[in-house]
Amino acid sequence: MTLSRRIFMTMAGSAMALTAGLSSAFAQTMPAPFDNPGEVKIALVRYLSTGDFFQAYLAGVESQAAAIGVDLRIFDSRQDAALQADMVDQAIALGVDGIIIQHGLTEAMQEAAQRAIDAGIKVVAFDVNVENDAIPQIEQSDYLLGKLALEQAIADNGDTWNAGYVYVAGIAPLDRRDVAWQDIKSANPGIKELAMFGTLDNPIANSVANQARSVLQANPSITVMFAPYDEFAKGVKIAVDEAGMTDQVSIYSADVSTADIAAMREPGSAWAATVATNPAVVGEVSVRTLAMLLAGEETGSNIVVPPTLITQAFLNDNDIKNMADLSANMPQFAHADVSVPAWMPLPAR
Amino acid sequence: MQTDTPKSVRPKRTLTEISIRYGFLALMAGLLIFFSVIAEGFASPYSAVFIFQSVAITGILALGVTATLVVDGFDLSIGSTATSALMLSAYVLVVLEMNAFVAVVACLVMGAAVGFINGILIVKFRVPDLLATLGMMFLLIGLQRIPTQGRSIATGMTLPDGRVAEGTFSKAFLSLGRYRFDFFIENLIPVSVIVLLVVGFLVWVFMELTRHGRLMYAIGSNSRAASLAGTNVNRYKILAYMISGVLASVGGILLAARLGRGDIASGNNLLLDSVAAALIGFAVLGAAKPNAFGTIIGALFIGILLQGLTMMNAPYYTQDFVKGAVLVVALVFTFALSKRGGAH
Repeated sequence: MTLSRRIFMTMAGSAMALTAGLSSAFAQTMPAPFDNPGEVKIALVRYLSTGDFFQAYLAGVESQAAAIGVDLRIFDSRQDAALQADMVDQAIALGVDGIIIQHGLTEAMQEAAQRAIDAGIKVVAFDVNVENDAIPQIEQSDYLLGKLALEQAIADNGDTWNAGYVYVAGIAPLDRRDVAWQDIKSANPGIKELAMFGTLDNPIANSVANQARSVLQANPSITVMFAPYDEFAKGVKIAVDEAGMTDQVSIYSADVSTADIAAMREPGSAWAATVATNPAVVGEVSVRTLAMLLAGEETGSNIVVPPTLITQAFLNDNDIKNMADLSANMPQFAHADVSVPAWMPLPAR
Repeated sequence: MQTDTPKSVRPKRTLTEISIRYGFLALMAGLLIFFSVIAEGFASPYSAVFIFQSVAITGILALGVTATLVVDGFDLSIGSTATSALMLSAYVLVVLEMNAFVAVVACLVMGAAVGFINGILIVKFRVPDLLATLGMMFLLIGLQRIPTQGRSIATGMTLPDGRVAEGTFSKAFLSLGRYRFDFFIENLIPVSVIVLLVVGFLVWVFMELTRHGRLMYAIGSNSRAASLAGTNVNRYKILAYMISGVLASVGGILLAARLGRGDIASGNNLLLDSVAAALIGFAVLGAAKPNAFGTIIGALFIGILLQGLTMMNAPYYTQDFVKGAVLVVALVFTFALSKRGGAH
């Protein structure tokens, strides 16, 4: 029953979208099924949820869902890959119209995602490759995150320096940022990696600080620390402060949070720049892309949310204290012009 | 040493005892020499201070673990108590905008309360210690996230009600993590190291030299016998968990002062590292029982290894491997001794 109704709704939706597309008079009213948005149910099925990034992502999903007016259900598997797959089945049983899969493991999610497609449900995936042509991938470009940070390091320090690099292999976003580091290193033979270290023992910043202290003691000629994850950068900054090397060492990182902004703006802070995608914006883009699919529109198979370079000087010049200030002063950080058809209502700012 | 009692002791056994008694310290001395030769910059006063600083927090937690091990208990909630104190101090300073003194007192009271509840669960409600403290661990991991809806605490953060938090980590509080005392060289020894040494000394005095400490050891080896001899077993067990809770919150305060913000963290790594240090401590001087001196040596041993390996660019997984290897060797030292029915 539900199934046939959903298929009917989708078909009707596509038909409506077509007619809406033909007539510009309809441009500002939402196409079906969003002419009655309260009837549209979407599910967010999460793999990772703990931490500032995932909280902000969720906030973005919620605000965009509220702006369109759809009924959002949240399933949180808390890093349990098998449970996450079960939750997709739960969402199918619940009769949702669309699913956002947020992170997860390819092997575990591939079949569950296909079952959802088979049930006529539209699916988008954020930062997990479910190897399915019917499912658009939304990603923040981790490669670009790393590359922009390193280009800033070269702009600030020239192309000849000794580097310390913080990296833990096997974490997908860190692996993609690592590719940027390898590319920059091979393009600039003057850049020497004297030490590579890193750990995910939590509290991460404290554990990395202990390691970075040893590294700085063993390699006092390091002038640039590339720490492409903000917890790493925070730890390195503590170590640089404790070693009294703030004048000598500059830190380049990825990601940003209110706490990071405060650390970057401390007087004489060694943390020179970070590159970040606003997780809330990524959340909004996820919902918008799903909504476009539901309305029967073409989204493309790969939706990249571009990252933004944030320097210490920019934060100081504009007296930015938190994420809200940052969004207000950096329009490209507050909103990404991705997946925005004319009819799409945007969250209020 | 027992060479001057020739009647009962054969030379072979003496050699074994010497190696069990001093073997671990000799191993540590060997490591120090090895790293000094191999790793450039290892042999310096700064390096020695780094090692102490890197183990100060786990060392303090490990002393708490030691207190519960003494009464034959176990505290799994120690890591999450520490991170709860980290979040609580940040909450008091940044969101409630109170001063450093209030933050420290609030954390210590919370630690004592957590220890008291653990103790009551174990002695009054007869919940096995591992299960009671496991429950407390999950409870605290969740509880510390509720006030901020799972986000880290930093100045300028937007609160759930839309207000912006204006409080800051005061200078006085941050100095707990960042101030350094002069010791021959200016600005050498951080506060956390002093706290570790003072707490270690106090726990050692309490456990080894006072009647209360000896009663706690008696409870640990045979609580029924201790009870029949007139000891208030329940009260001492609760006391042990309260010591553990308070020391965990001290560790959390120092962590907050070093990080300068309230980071959400489960504290599981703190728990595992501190348990490892306390267990390695069994092997030091052939004690074969939990003891404060051994615990600090155990923490330092891990610190020396990690510092040396990091300086030699060894990746993190080799460090976990080495930590495990040290623990296994230490346990062999301990149980090889007890099997021979040796001293203590």
